[in-house]
Amino acid sequence: MKNTLRQVFHSSKFVAGFVIFVAIILMMIIYPLFNPGNPLEQIGVGTFAKPGTYVSLYDAARTKTDTLRLPDAADNRIAAALTDEDRVAMVEWFTLMGADISDLDTADTDAMIELWHETYDPTARPKGMTNAKINYYKRLNNAIMDLGAADTITIAEYNDEGVLEESKTILDTDYVNTKNVANVKTLPLGTDNFGRDVLKELVSATGTSIRIGLIAGIVATVIGLTFGLLAGYVGGWLDDIIMFITNIFTVIPSFVLLILITYSLGQEQRGAAVVATVIGFTSWTWTARSVRSQVISLRNRDHVNLSKLSGHSLVRIVVMDILPYIASYVVMAFILQVSSGILAEAQLSLLGLGPKTTQVPTLGLMMNWAMLYSAHTNGSWWAYFPVILIITLISFSLNLMNTGLDQVFNPTLRD
Amino acid sequence: MKKIIALLLALVMVFSLVACGDSGNSDVTPGTDQAGEPAAPDAAPGDEETPAEEPADVVEDPAPAPADGEDVVLPRNETLYFAGQQWGAVNSWNPIGTNQNNAMAIASGVGWRETMFETLYMWNALDGKLYGLLANDDYAWNDDMTQLTFTIKDAAKWSDGTAVTAADVKKTFDIGIEIGNGVAGSYGAYIDSIDADGNTVTINAKLNDAGQPVNPLKILDFLVLQAIAQENWINTCYDRNNGDATAILNDAGDDVVWSGPYTKYYSDDQKVVLVRDDNYWGQDASMWGSLPVPKYLAHNIYADNAAGEVALKAGEVDVCQQFIGNVQNLWLEDGLPISTYYDEAPYGICLTMPTAWFNMNIPVIGENAALRRAIAMAVDYDSIIANAMTNQSPSFSEVPRSLMNPTAGEQALYNQSEVADLQFAGNDVEGAKALLDEAGLVDTDGDGWREYNGEKISLNAVCPNGWSDWQASMEIVAAAGEKIGVEITTLYPEYDIYQTVFVDPNQTEYAIFMWSPDASTPSNPWTRVNQFMGMDYIGIQNNWSGNWGQYKNEEADALIKQIPLTTDETELKRLYTELTKIYLTEVPSFSLMYRPSMFHTVNESVWTNYPADDGRNIPPADCTDGYGIRALYELELVG
Repeated sequence: MKNTLRQVFHSSKFVAGFVIFVAIILMMIIYPLFNPGNPLEQIGVGTFAKPGTYVSLYDAARTKTDTLRLPDAADNRIAAALTDEDRVAMVEWFTLMGADISDLDTADTDAMIELWHETYDPTARPKGMTNAKINYYKRLNNAIMDLGAADTITIAEYNDEGVLEESKTILDTDYVNTKNVANVKTLPLGTDNFGRDVLKELVSATGTSIRIGLIAGIVATVIGLTFGLLAGYVGGWLDDIIMFITNIFTVIPSFVLLILITYSLGQEQRGAAVVATVIGFTSWTWTARSVRSQVISLRNRDHVNLSKLSGHSLVRIVVMDILPYIASYVVMAFILQVSSGILAEAQLSLLGLGPKTTQVPTLGLMMNWAMLYSAHTNGSWWAYFPVILIITLISFSLNLMNTGLDQVFNPTLRD
Repeated sequence: MKKIIALLLALVMVFSLVACGDSGNSDVTPGTDQAGEPAAPDAAPGDEETPAEEPADVVEDPAPAPADGEDVVLPRNETLYFAGQQWGAVNSWNPIGTNQNNAMAIASGVGWRETMFETLYMWNALDGKLYGLLANDDYAWNDDMTQLTFTIKDAAKWSDGTAVTAADVKKTFDIGIEIGNGVAGSYGAYIDSIDADGNTVTINAKLNDAGQPVNPLKILDFLVLQAIAQENWINTCYDRNNGDATAILNDAGDDVVWSGPYTKYYSDDQKVVLVRDDNYWGQDASMWGSLPVPKYLAHNIYADNAAGEVALKAGEVDVCQQFIGNVQNLWLEDGLPISTYYDEAPYGICLTMPTAWFNMNIPVIGENAALRRAIAMAVDYDSIIANAMTNQSPSFSEVPRSLMNPTAGEQALYNQSEVADLQFAGNDVEGAKALLDEAGLVDTDGDGWREYNGEKISLNAVCPNGWSDWQASMEIVAAAGEKIGVEITTLYPEYDIYQTVFVDPNQTEYAIFMWSPDASTPSNPWTRVNQFMGMDYIGIQNNWSGNWGQYKNEEADALIKQIPLTTDETELKRLYTELTKIYLTEVPSFSLMYRPSMFHTVNESVWTNYPADDGRNIPPADCTDGYGIRALYELELVG
């Protein structure tokens, strides 16, 4: 056993797959320790908040400030309000309004803004200008107005008599250290369509999906193994019957079968475990076939015949004399079943046939909701891309482990 | 030789495997359909349209000009492209039929689609007024509102050159009653008969036992929602079908005579195109004084909302009647020349309010107004509006909840201050818990869930699968239940199942389920109030019309019955205020958001001067519905 393990861990492919898989498992275990709480909690109001750090404006306004005189602060402020395209659009407006722009330097913000104040008329509707463009100029005007506003922002609160009372003035050189602000939230992957923290949900969903894969893998392997062993060892009419059933299942595309079964179960019945079991029930056929063929080649070996002569029971012969010889194969098949179980869940959920929604997060459900909310067309990559990446990494690591094991155990592939 | 044969055989096998592989892959694609919400906002209950079905038969190609789809080349600068209306191929062009599935010509959204078949008046949801189309502007009631009289415009002509007459109006009504099309369903109970005298039409109301008209408001609906068909053509159609009602309803109507500015040009399962009728009577000075600007109205048939949205972004669609989440990103972030009616949230005009209905057949719901109110109070509507509507709806703190939609006209119909104590803006978990405790619905066995008569209260919240905004809303309702100790689980059956269950008046499968009440017609808000609490719908099988939760309240019903006959504004306001009080105390249903009944997102790459909030008083009604069709006369080419 020790020797086998040493052999296995000599395979670089297996080790690479193993490391990736363990890293994912560790992330699943460790991340919730640092960021506890319900992964399905809707913290954001609204859809798809961008990844980044969110500072509470309410708290920041009450935090002690430090004065920093940064040389490029004003430039940054202007650049954020007035992009190069905005400047081009401003020149367009000047032209439309017949202003003299012969010696206007578009980089000269003050001159641009001055001319803007002279020429902009919110009621003007130049011939042929689209509504979208007019709205754009309105927004641009608001941004320019903000730029030209006073250097200070005054914060006022209602006192007991309901009268506004000035409580604080913020200068353009006031800064707060984010460490001093009471509420700062970093959302490394933003929020999803329900306003949930995507990273937290992703970690939890990975766990669920791996569990689904494991259950599906175990179910499929147990069924496949039992059928394969029985058919291969007993043979005769039992073999005929089992192979008949197996062939029927092989011929029907398992995914179609999966869709039909989950659909007919109805949504109320579809918990994660049920979906996993259904996936297992539809994917055992290849295991059964290959186990059977291996058993057929084993059943007339000398040690099996010796066992038979010694009067050992069928169960004992199968378990003690045959199973160990195909154990390596079964482990490899199991790994592949886990991987395909995770993929099957993702596919099902994407069709809206996955586990009952929002009771548990799964990778497939995350993608399903992202798709329902058009995350792929509105550029909210953080809602689906990390999910795809995790699914890919899990399948990749499992397949890599499988290939590594194959190289160790399959004599024809051995170096 | 054997080797060559073996090689050939192997090649054949490989190719067939590849071919099989491809078809296998396509199994997965139907998933994209889930995102679509086909036709949902379009079909207002009670109007012409029956729920869209796949076309049963292939209809003959009604296109007069092009024979083949490949030949249809539409000059971009003469064509206005639509999206979000037509799903699947057109069934028929028969204005007196049913199930036409013809969203470009025979449908209604915010008023009737006035493109090919015209109504007597045009509905303007903005100011709540009727504008004359086939009929002259003024209609008149007699003193006891039993007769309504108006005249047909002299200029109004059919496409065959004959004049539109009062007889056409009469025939449209009579044939509807005879063959049982939408006219019978919508107006049969309210209109007794129509008298035609030359150009003068008199509509006689049905009278109740007291000799009063049953509902004058519904007669106004007839004026703006019922397209008029030509008497001659109706007779032709009648004769060729030997008077068989079913055959007439399913007649393809390829030879139909129309009065509107557009007519059919081409249609198949890929697209529907209407072409301008340059002989249209409306260019007469007494009507529009000109022809509409675009020569063609075209609607490509998209697989789902996402496809329509992509086409809108690419500038292949000009007017898009689809919900687009975070629509402002199209111009703020993508910088596209796209705009909506308002530049700021809520971007459109909200005329309806998708509502969660409590199923009164379930004892724990029917017997506990406190439970209903507590659930409704605890729901976080701001989240729903931010999430499901991406803030394209005013919040319930901005427009407090009542029976009215957020338009100024309806809001003025009840006394806000009198019901202010009853209104709730949501997310009031403590208040809801207190209400439940007070009502004795407490957790007696300590499992965290409240019980009623010793049994855990366990409800489901249901809406059709794939209707993502409603699904998100139901999730938020379920979350509210958890906060107040009432178990609510979500359930999303497929639409074809959903639509058979929620219209069943005896169903107990769905506890809380979603549907939208009526949006905007002359008979609203009365129709909507009737849908919320009227007893006309109790026990009606296949009930698509209203009161889906089967709420029974004699007092409310009596008040509702008074409204149509009340003309005094103070009295009207008193009645609506009383009804609002009952509604907010009893909570037979609760609206989750306000929502436009039609979305109006336009791409201005080719056309501009669409309806906008600029004082022109043109409603954002897809440029085709009711008075919204005026937009077609004001469009301009860009540049």
